[in-house]
Amino acid sequence: MSRAEEFASRWGLIVATLGMAVGTGNIWRFPRIAASNGGGSFLVAWVVFLFLWSVPLMIVEFSFGKKSRKGAIGAFVHMAGRKYAWMGGFVALCASAIMFYYSVVTGWCFRFLAAALTGGLSGEGESQALWSSFAGTPKSLVTHFLALGIGVAVVWFGVRGIERVAKVLIPTLALMVLILAVRAVTLPGAEKGLAFLFTPDWQALASPTIWLEALTQNAWDTGAGWGLILTYAIYMRAREDVSLNAFLIGFGNNSMSLLAGIMVLCTVFAINPSAQADIVGAGNEGLTFIWMPQLFAAMPGGGIFMVLFFAALSFAALTSLIAMLELATRVLIDMGLERRPALLWVAAAGLVCGMPSALSMSFFKNQDWVWGVGLMLSGLFFAIAAGRFGLDRLRTEVVNGEGCDLPIGRWWVTMIAIVVPVEAVTLIVWWLWAARGWDPDGWLHPLHAGNVGTVLFQIAIALVVLLLLNRFLGSRSGSSAEEVSA
Amino acid sequence: MTTTATVMMILICGLVWGGFVSLLFRAAKSEGRKRARGRD
Repeated sequence: MSRAEEFASRWGLIVATLGMAVGTGNIWRFPRIAASNGGGSFLVAWVVFLFLWSVPLMIVEFSFGKKSRKGAIGAFVHMAGRKYAWMGGFVALCASAIMFYYSVVTGWCFRFLAAALTGGLSGEGESQALWSSFAGTPKSLVTHFLALGIGVAVVWFGVRGIERVAKVLIPTLALMVLILAVRAVTLPGAEKGLAFLFTPDWQALASPTIWLEALTQNAWDTGAGWGLILTYAIYMRAREDVSLNAFLIGFGNNSMSLLAGIMVLCTVFAINPSAQADIVGAGNEGLTFIWMPQLFAAMPGGGIFMVLFFAALSFAALTSLIAMLELATRVLIDMGLERRPALLWVAAAGLVCGMPSALSMSFFKNQDWVWGVGLMLSGLFFAIAAGRFGLDRLRTEVVNGEGCDLPIGRWWVTMIAIVVPVEAVTLIVWWLWAARGWDPDGWLHPLHAGNVGTVLFQIAIALVVLLLLNRFLGSRSGSSAEEVSA
Repeated sequence: MTTTATVMMILICGLVWGGFVSLLFRAAKSEGRKRARGRD
């Protein structure tokens, strides 16, 4: 790999990977889920799963990228053999399907940032009016195209372009979230928000729901098992470490979630404590795009903080979107395309396949639900592929090999061989079981938006198609480690 | 805020933020060592 296709520095790799991991989920989902699942008790479970899910899988992803120097499909072929190309294909498909609607989400963030900058959210009911007249309408097509265009412009210049942008956006994002958190904590009444977030309910720890929600939060917001870390790890220098970087990204991502949780809950409790149940229960979009502007509008100097909030959200979304675009582009590069034509194909697919989510909230929610479950399957596939390569071999040859800063013990082998697969299967079963109650009369109907049937139907189609294409994918995406050494 | 909540806040924030900052320092130190070795 030429030096132009490597991160210029370790700092570049860290900020780009942090940019991938820190997304809207840290800002709009974590505070809500922590608040509605026992606050302090949830945080205990959330920290536990950082070590039982996120970090072990991040180590797998970093080592796959460093060892194979291939995108999702090629890495699975290299590590597990040609028969496993379909698993890499599923990881790539899942991340790409998320990219299609994540571009729409990034566009919403841009639109609300523009509204905050022009003072269009300061009046009573303005955020609700903007949301109602914008999301799910043709207007959000414009911001979807804009978000995709900006992402493509960054990925166009390859890994050095991604690194340059991340070096500016991620420190700025961290500074903005820090300023917002400090402002929120210093508001009169903010201590009630801190108490709500940090008071543990020890009995709640006996509830499986808290543990499963904490595991889900780790699966969805750290980026572990998505294939995105693998993609950035392709561009690591040979002397680069695996395990310390994995811990660093896991802790960095969760640090940002914690800051966001403090910022959101202190703002809610200081400005409108009587509505906290409504605010927390308003869903990701309701909390972010309807309630937060209202809370900022009622805060002294709130206009500035509202701009900072939506700028932070836009930066978080954009850096994650860039990683998703790079993942899909890299898969096509491995299949023989040049970077720029590959990126244009990805952009065209994103443009077209994101349109239904821009035009219909029901379609958006369906895709978010289906591929959210798909991500858990992706995590399981990583564990299986690592097992095929040989976990002890991977640990000694790659994780603890050249450039290692933090040698990893045999505990990691147990995590990937037993703990992660059990967690992935438990999560999938639990979410599908819970979804039976969302649509009791038609829970298996494949064309309903939010039920079990739609997940099984779409994921089954994806798996059947990928299995049928396995030979093609395996032959076009590189060689297995055995073939290389032979 | 109760004492339990305060202790919990110190523990969780200390672990997560403290962990992140100490890992960052460790990475910077090791990177410095690798660069120095590369110059030899």
